[in-house]
Parts: sequence; C-alpha cells; structure tokens
Amino acid sequence: MKVQVLFFGATAEATGKREIEVNMENGAKTGDVFQRVIANFPQLQKHTLLFALNQEYSKGNETIKNGDELAIFTAVSGG
Amino acid sequence: MSEKKIENRKSKIEDRRDFFEITTDALDAGAIARRVVPKTCGAIVTLDGFVRQFTKKRETLYLEYEAYEPMALKEMEKLIAQAYEQFEIANVGVVHRLGKMEIGETSVVISVAAPHRRSAFEACEWLIKELKRTVPIWKKEVYRDGETWIEGESQFAVN
Repeated sequence: MKVQVLFFGATAEATGKREIEVNMENGAKTGDVFQRVIANFPQLQKHTLLFALNQEYSKGNETIKNGDELAIFTAVSGG
Repeated sequence: MSEKKIENRKSKIEDRRDFFEITTDALDAGAIARRVVPKTCGAIVTLDGFVRQFTKKRETLYLEYEAYEPMALKEMEKLIAQAYEQFEIANVGVVHRLGKMEIGETSVVISVAAPHRRSAFEACEWLIKELKRTVPIWKKEVYRDGETWIEGESQFAVN
C-alpha cells in the first residue's frame, strides 16, 4: 500500500524534498508512517513536528488507506 | 448553540459573504475590509498584518511565506465557523498572502463586521491568534546575517 507524504517549509528544507511515496503494510497507522519517515530523515527530530492526514491534523492513530495524503510540518507561523 | 444560529451561519457561508483566501497578490486591507458592509452592522474591525523590520534588535530584510494550501483553506473555514459560535458578528473575511514580502507589505488581513464594535474587536483578535496557531502557513525570516523558518507554538504538537 502506498501513501504520499508532503513536506513544507522547514521540513522540506531539512529533507530536501517536497513529497515522497512510502510503502506500508495493510493496517498500518498514521503514526507508523510518521515514525518511518523520521527514521529515514533523522534530521527532522530536532524540530517540533505536526502531522496531517488528508488535510486534517492527525493524532497518529488513524488507519491509513492506499493513496492517502499525509504531511509532516513544523509548528505553524503564519500571520 | 441554538438551531437558529446554525442556520444563520450556514446561510452566510452559502451566500458567500464570508471569505477566506490565499493569494500571492499584494493585499489592500481597506478594500478587503469593505468588500462586505452588512446593512445591520455599525463597525468593521480590520487587522492589517505586515512585515516588521526589527524583531527585538535583529533586522529582517524580507519574509517568505508558504502554505499547505488546501489544508490552510479548510482550517480558515473552521475558524470562521468557530468565531460565529462565540461572537455576535455578521461577516468575516480572512486573506493571507504567500511568497516574498518586503518590509511593510501586508501579509494577512482579517476583517470582521458586527452590529457593535466590541464583538468585532474580540472576534478579530481571536481569529488572528487562532490563525497563527492552527492554519498551516509558515514564514521564513531572511536577515542580513542568515535566514530561518519560524516555528510557532501549537497544541497539535505530538512529539
């Protein structure tokens, strides 16, 4: 099962990527995806990270589906 | 919340009187504020947020904003709905600009119309505070001696 993970601002700069595709097992939770991405990009660990699933804030416990859009970004700073 | 209030809120959004937008164009706060002037209102409070040159003693040359646009628009829409639950207001407009902005250029405009000014002031303050906490937009400060993505504070942080 494949999901897309998007990066913005500081996380895009830290990873050098705007988006990646991640292969996950059936039944995986959003938190499993985020942990795997952070393991692949340990430079993300120095940031306070927020997560989203399909454009809503994620608590990390949602079961993912093929084609889901996930995002990893730092605490927001608009205004 | 009463059913009547829910109906009122819904009809406002269907009428497209409220607006929430993201743009790379320059913002004109006065024009945005006057896009909606409800007949039942006596006041519009408008926040014109612009690029500050000095933060403490450090000089900013310019800012760059980026957003997770579809999620940012959803979060803006939620904030407007929440504002109607808390304040006696009649219209809300929120517009955020993205891209590079020079000192003094407007990055965000929040405009709230209300029958009486107090609710408009309170709702406008609440909206900008929540926008800075929940709407996925980020600013990069470019200084004379470096640059940094600003990381805010958020209750959504999970690590």
